[in-house]
Amino acid sequence: NLMRVQLAGSHVDTQEPKANPLVSVSDEPETLYKRLSLLVKGHDKAVLDSYEYFAVLAAKELGISVEKVHKPPKKIERLTLLKSVHIYKKHRVQYEMRTHYMCLELKYLTSSTAAVYLEYVQRNLPEGVAMEVKKTKIEKIPEHIQKPVWDTLPQVEETEVKS
Amino acid sequence: PLSPQTRAARVRVGKGDKPVTYEQAHAPHYIAHRKGWLSLHTGNLCGEAGAAERALEDAFLRRFLHGTFPGLLADAAVLKRRANLLVVCVLLARGLAPAKLHFLGGYAETLLSHFYKCPVRLELQTVPAKVPYKYL
Repeated sequence: NLMRVQLAGSHVDTQEPKANPLVSVSDEPETLYKRLSLLVKGHDKAVLDSYEYFAVLAAKELGISVEKVHKPPKKIERLTLLKSVHIYKKHRVQYEMRTHYMCLELKYLTSSTAAVYLEYVQRNLPEGVAMEVKKTKIEKIPEHIQKPVWDTLPQVEETEVKS
Repeated sequence: PLSPQTRAARVRVGKGDKPVTYEQAHAPHYIAHRKGWLSLHTGNLCGEAGAAERALEDAFLRRFLHGTFPGLLADAAVLKRRANLLVVCVLLARGLAPAKLHFLGGYAETLLSHFYKCPVRLELQTVPAKVPYKYL
């Protein structure tokens, strides 16, 4: 009776590990990214600051190394329009739209890490904030240019020019 | 420096009997200083398109809400756009029974979703009364 109780309480796993349907394992080599650059644009600086804290924290938790976090200067788009519907050219109204930027650069990622990080960070993008992503891929040098050309060409015999 | 003759989005000073909310009391030059934005989208950022479409949608939504909740709006609605999802946050005064508010909310959500072809989420909150910030 005691033995049966012990077996009933414990989790007796089968020999196969549990297969998670969401995780896909493939044999093809992953593309490597040297740099993943996220440029975040917004109207409100406070929102961008809090988003920067969130993105850096997420990168640290996932083990992604952050190259640098810098804030490019803001761009102000100014419009000068006529104040009145008809005539009165001397009286105008001025509007401006400020866009603040924040650039987050991450280095040395694999494509699956990049996919996971980008999905998480983009799902939590606040409203009124836009993001542009630039990826820099690392590729192997193609075979035909691995060695310099002048090493492989056959030696040309030098002919004297007789004038 | 602003001229005293500007009349944009300002409530003019009167006898002192007009209750005015915090949103209405502040002029547009206080946006990002003392006020926030009522409609949040990426159309107005540098290098982004779609500002006019968003502005049109906002105008329609505000009129629609003014019509579906007659006399109940305590403050201007806040519209948030998160990647195809439209979140509309509305503050209402307590004039109707909660069952009716639920029906109106559901009706507004389904109608707007079918109209704009995007998921629309309506977040209603009731307040005991309109809160006046100042009397002008």
